[in-house]
Amino acid sequence: SIMPSYKLTYFDGRARAEVARQILYLADIPFEDVRISLHDWPSLKSTTPFGQMPLLEVDGQSLPQSFAIFRYLAKQFGFSGDSPFESAWVDALADQHADYFREILPVLLTIWGFTQGDRMALVKEVATPARDKYFPLLEKIAKDNGLNGHFVGDSLTWVDLLIAEHVGSINQHLPGFLSAYPSVIKTVNKITSTPRLKEWIEKRKETTF
Amino acid sequence: SRQVAPRSSHKQIMPSYKLSYFPGRGMTEVSRQMLHLSGTLFEDNRLEMDEWAKVKESAPFGQLPLLHVDGKPLPQSFAIARYLAKLFGFAGATPFEAAWVDALADQMKDYLGEIKQYLLVAYGFAEGDKEQLQKEVVDPAIHKFFTILETRAKENGSNGHFVGNSLTWIDLVVSDHIEILEGLIPNAVDAFPLVKEVQRKTTSCPKLKEWLDKRPVTTW
Repeated sequence: SIMPSYKLTYFDGRARAEVARQILYLADIPFEDVRISLHDWPSLKSTTPFGQMPLLEVDGQSLPQSFAIFRYLAKQFGFSGDSPFESAWVDALADQHADYFREILPVLLTIWGFTQGDRMALVKEVATPARDKYFPLLEKIAKDNGLNGHFVGDSLTWVDLLIAEHVGSINQHLPGFLSAYPSVIKTVNKITSTPRLKEWIEKRKETTF
Repeated sequence: SRQVAPRSSHKQIMPSYKLSYFPGRGMTEVSRQMLHLSGTLFEDNRLEMDEWAKVKESAPFGQLPLLHVDGKPLPQSFAIARYLAKLFGFAGATPFEAAWVDALADQMKDYLGEIKQYLLVAYGFAEGDKEQLQKEVVDPAIHKFFTILETRAKENGSNGHFVGNSLTWIDLVVSDHIEILEGLIPNAVDAFPLVKEVQRKTTSCPKLKEWLDKRPVTTW
């Protein structure tokens, strides 16, 4: 059978698109990795279904919203858990992660240089409480799952990639910020040492976000 | 908690379902509706705040809603909704359709986040200027999200569904939300006729009407 064509469009960074790139690379599926500059985005915005990126096109058919994209690709290529209930747990953890990410995003936007702000104050007053609310939960989840290198089940899922990518971003800009969560770090290290993923991480372009 | 219907003890083919939430609809109502539409018996467990305080620590994410399937917990409203939708046939006819339902649901979550403060003030859970919030925050948020929905309904063939040719969980979520929203802001979505048609078609489904007629009346 003929493979569909895949095109992923996002800014020139990892943030909300990286998990999709990783799934496609892990599955050895060729895809067009389109990166739009901040300058070019405004004129493109109205051509997208929700005025947002990332955008996945499958044989020219558009699909917006990062998690919808990740879940769709994960399901196609075997990264969404080994049962419907497990897939639902992957979804649940991803949504819990998104709730945390929404809280910490203003801090990241300042760190990444998109907004002005007092970085130290934001880390202390916004990022730290957000972390302290969420990461103990993640630490428990990693332990309860047997420290097997996954957050849900015993095979690689898209929520593993999502969390690992975020931890990588935090380590890039706030080293030591997650040092109180050794089981999370251990799990993330196991995830990123998956051979094909390690390969992608090593050869990908370095970006601020 | 109320058992919706008795379970026959000698016929345990179906798993047992218990859906726990506060006495309201929120993003849990869609799951109640799908359980009802599929003819599946479930425990519609509504907890007051003091009851919740007693069990909060045992909840995986310390939050409601929670679905228990044969006693195994699953948190997060949309994970629950999607799980039940897949099980009962409300998740679209293809993986790509299911992905579009997910995309609209996540866009709705963004919109709900934008109007959250207004809702808290309107229901008396927070202080604030309701009128100002409506003018400055809610009206633009409604315009942005419902324009997306209207466009989607049109691109889908103006067939009374947002995705595909049959009822999906995004039809249910949006329809119930419109009822809640218009309870606060009358005629809030009159400018979106195709969206209203989805609501009309969805809520006129006889099996859903059955549920809408018998469910506890709540403002949210």
